[in-house]
Amino acid sequence: MAGLLQKTPLMGKDSPWLSGIRKRGWDSFVKQGIPTAKTEAWKYTKPRDLAAEDFVVSKISMSEASKIDLPFDCYYIRFENGWFCPSQSNLPQGVEVVPLIEVALLKPHLQKYFCSLAQVDGNPFVALNQAYLQEGVFIKIENNINLQKPLAIINHTTTESANIFFNLRNIIVVDKDSSATIVEYHTYSGEAKSRYLANIVNEIYLASGAELNHYKVQSEAFKANHISFSVASLKKDSSYNSFCLQKGANIGRNETLVKMHEEGAKTEVNSAYLMNGWATLDTTTNIEHLAPCTSSHQLIKGVIGGEAKGVFQGKIHIAPHAIKTEGNQLHKALLLTDTAEVDVKPELEIFADDVKCSHGATSGELDAEQLFYMRSRGIGLSEARQILIDAYLDEVITKISNEKIKDWIKLFAQEKSK
Amino acid sequence: MKTPLLEIEDLHARVCDKEIIKGFNLTINEGEIHALMGPNGAGKSTLSNILCGKDGYEVTSGSVRFKGKNLLSMSPEERAREGVFLTMQYPVEIPGVPTATFLKHSVNAIRKHHNLPELDTMEFIKMVREEGRKLGVDADMIKRPLNVGFSGGEKKRLEILQMSILKPAFAILDEADSGLDIDALKTVSEGVNALRDGSRSMLVITHYQRLLNYVIPDFVHVYADGKIVRSGDKTLALELEEKGYAQFVKEK
Repeated sequence: MAGLLQKTPLMGKDSPWLSGIRKRGWDSFVKQGIPTAKTEAWKYTKPRDLAAEDFVVSKISMSEASKIDLPFDCYYIRFENGWFCPSQSNLPQGVEVVPLIEVALLKPHLQKYFCSLAQVDGNPFVALNQAYLQEGVFIKIENNINLQKPLAIINHTTTESANIFFNLRNIIVVDKDSSATIVEYHTYSGEAKSRYLANIVNEIYLASGAELNHYKVQSEAFKANHISFSVASLKKDSSYNSFCLQKGANIGRNETLVKMHEEGAKTEVNSAYLMNGWATLDTTTNIEHLAPCTSSHQLIKGVIGGEAKGVFQGKIHIAPHAIKTEGNQLHKALLLTDTAEVDVKPELEIFADDVKCSHGATSGELDAEQLFYMRSRGIGLSEARQILIDAYLDEVITKISNEKIKDWIKLFAQEKSK
Repeated sequence: MKTPLLEIEDLHARVCDKEIIKGFNLTINEGEIHALMGPNGAGKSTLSNILCGKDGYEVTSGSVRFKGKNLLSMSPEERAREGVFLTMQYPVEIPGVPTATFLKHSVNAIRKHHNLPELDTMEFIKMVREEGRKLGVDADMIKRPLNVGFSGGEKKRLEILQMSILKPAFAILDEADSGLDIDALKTVSEGVNALRDGSRSMLVITHYQRLLNYVIPDFVHVYADGKIVRSGDKTLALELEEKGYAQFVKEK
């Protein structure tokens, strides 16, 4: 039997610093365990099967990385089953991409970026990720660099008979007045029924005036588990804009924590999810306004079919001195069947006066009048439904500013809703 | 010898246990324009919705044949593809779907049914522009989301534009004149008349004589309390305009 905690050969066991970090992760996970229905942060999403699953820690693959190319010009960082494949694109000056383990062992001055944003307390999967800390990349964009081409981080999983398990952590630092676009893409090939587990952590540091567009597509195998936690720390006048499309996995969770530490920081956290079967897709956001004049906007739209369940937990926290801040949040779900379910938990914690805050949640079905209108013009029922679903998601996908990435993501959504 | 296109025989239908249509008979031959006039609540919209296959109506007896086929067993899209078209009294707004996208899906669904090649974007735009010009529908309008924020007149013109593009064998105009000013009424009527070609048939449902001054019917029927109570030629419409429907409505 192999559960989630296994003695496995990891690099850098001689480094007391790294061993210490891993041990803290391990101990914390042992203490917390797999979340249950009693764990508030995991109230609606129950990864209980993971405890019993016979996982095998993914082995390094000797074969070449699957050459998945994206339909737009970009730099590539590739992972295969959670292992970094060094054959990446040439990067322009001022942009550094280094394997995480290399930075951990050879660049002590950068150690401060490790595991300081993603806290293990209250987040067992972050703890688990930290216990296995090794794979991932450290990305640093120096001052005053405007990275024109997007940087794509692709993790491709080749499913096998055994259910593999891997942990991936990326640390992204965008220095003063720089800007970049990152596209994170999780996909697979092989056996669609594989129940593998991808456990992802992103730690993102934005210096003053920095801007990061972070787009993600989660397109895992339909019985897989994808648990992802991204945390961004924002300094003065920086901005973090994220968009995530979740369309795969049996249990998929995309959690985003944004900490706006200084004035003028702003964030947009948008998401779309599409599912059917018995999947649970969870979007959890936690937006912390820790300084005055910060702003956040969130739009999350889900399309739920079959016996699937959509979960949205969204918290906006406004600290006592964070006056003149603005925080908006809206979640909308479209239920395609009587057995589809959506659970929503919005939370506002406002400790300051003079703030503008709003939140809302709606759920509904496809409009019968709209469907009839289209059918009465010769459009078949399934095509009419798809037109309406596409239009429904268009409202949020449109928020992606990069046209080519927007078109690419739109195609994913359309393919899924067929 | 005239060829019957639509044959409605002894149709009875109800909505939520309330009988609305009570023995309706009508045969429309190819190329004929029939006007159906009647007071509010006669069941005019119920009839057009049943002919187009909308949910929520229960046909309890009778039959409807279109080109000899059982119309009632077809789905709404099959009816449209076979050539039944309804201009709606209240066209639906669909946010997020550009009018042009919707029209293209519609045109190609119908072309596909008739084994015609689908139109590509260029061919489609060209056709919509040509037809649109005649009806005062400009290119800007079809870029906007379907019917969203359209005025009453714009919505009606778009309905007629769809009819001009889809060229159905049989069109039902349900209160196509409501909410139109005189100029718009003329434009819409011209659009309708342009489609009169001797083989296309229409059922014009209206309260008023007004539209019939422009779209001259071959037959006029008075529809009251779920059935046709009187039929005649175009002069019947004038008589109704003068005397009203009171003579046909049962004292309550």
